[in-house]
Amino acid sequence: MHAARNVALCTKDCLCLFICPTGATDTETGQIDFTKCLDGCRLCVDACPSHALYLVFDRYPRKPAKEDKVVEALESLLDSKVAQEALAEALARSGSAGAKLAKALAMSNRILAEDCAREARYMLPQSEQSKALLRQLAGQPHTGDFPAEAVGKLLASL
Amino acid sequence: MDERTYSSGALSVICSNLTKACEKQMRPAEAEQFRTIGTYFATQATKSEAKAFADLNGLIAQDLEQGYPQVASAAEVAGDRGALRCMTWGKKVTSIHKSVLARYEKQGDALLAGNNLFVCEACGFIAIAPTVPELCPICKAPASRFVKI
Repeated sequence: MHAARNVALCTKDCLCLFICPTGATDTETGQIDFTKCLDGCRLCVDACPSHALYLVFDRYPRKPAKEDKVVEALESLLDSKVAQEALAEALARSGSAGAKLAKALAMSNRILAEDCAREARYMLPQSEQSKALLRQLAGQPHTGDFPAEAVGKLLASL
Repeated sequence: MDERTYSSGALSVICSNLTKACEKQMRPAEAEQFRTIGTYFATQATKSEAKAFADLNGLIAQDLEQGYPQVASAAEVAGDRGALRCMTWGKKVTSIHKSVLARYEKQGDALLAGNNLFVCEACGFIAIAPTVPELCPICKAPASRFVKI
């Protein structure tokens, strides 16, 4: 459990610099140095007058599986939004009038589709459902440029 | 629920969603790995040959008449608050798609003249306005969550 900074909220009062025992709050990037941050310390989180610092958790609770009918209904909508994103992308590629509107529709449909995926099964990357999907992908035959290494690394680290 | 086989397009969406989840958890390495897998499936996905905005109308009508009501009834029976929230926002955003397309059909590019396009990255709401909305009317996300197209 380490601290992170929301740079948009930071007012540069720098109380985090006063209080941090390891110097993790003082970096070139503006983000906390996670390697120096002490697990669960939270001194900077409490000291910040702008609520720009928060804790990022390493472990998340296991979520109960969703009802089959809810998953089915959401994943059927997911497929529809995927098809609409593809249609809008084709219109955006055509470069004709309204290409900008098509781009907005493609992006909007991607966000709607992601919401369906999240509510159906894949909210947390470290959940059993997400890992089961990665294992399923790893076990399937794919074309040569399938990023098997990325799948393997995720299965090792999640 | 059993494993199912997803289309490449659906896998690309699942992976881009998990990329965002990793970014929110400040795990850039895992975010990058999900992005790589998502990009692979995006290239494998079936490309559409759509020629006109009207090609979207059938799927939009199907979502509004069947897709969202089916989520609503299943989620109500299950007492699934998350799915109901997804249904409420999604149905509103999809209705906006329908009305934007109807207006574009009538007005053509005049609809966009003097306006910008903004998409709310929290719920997908599309705003056609000169300046960014202060607050998303659908999900109440602040102006900082809007992307200008």
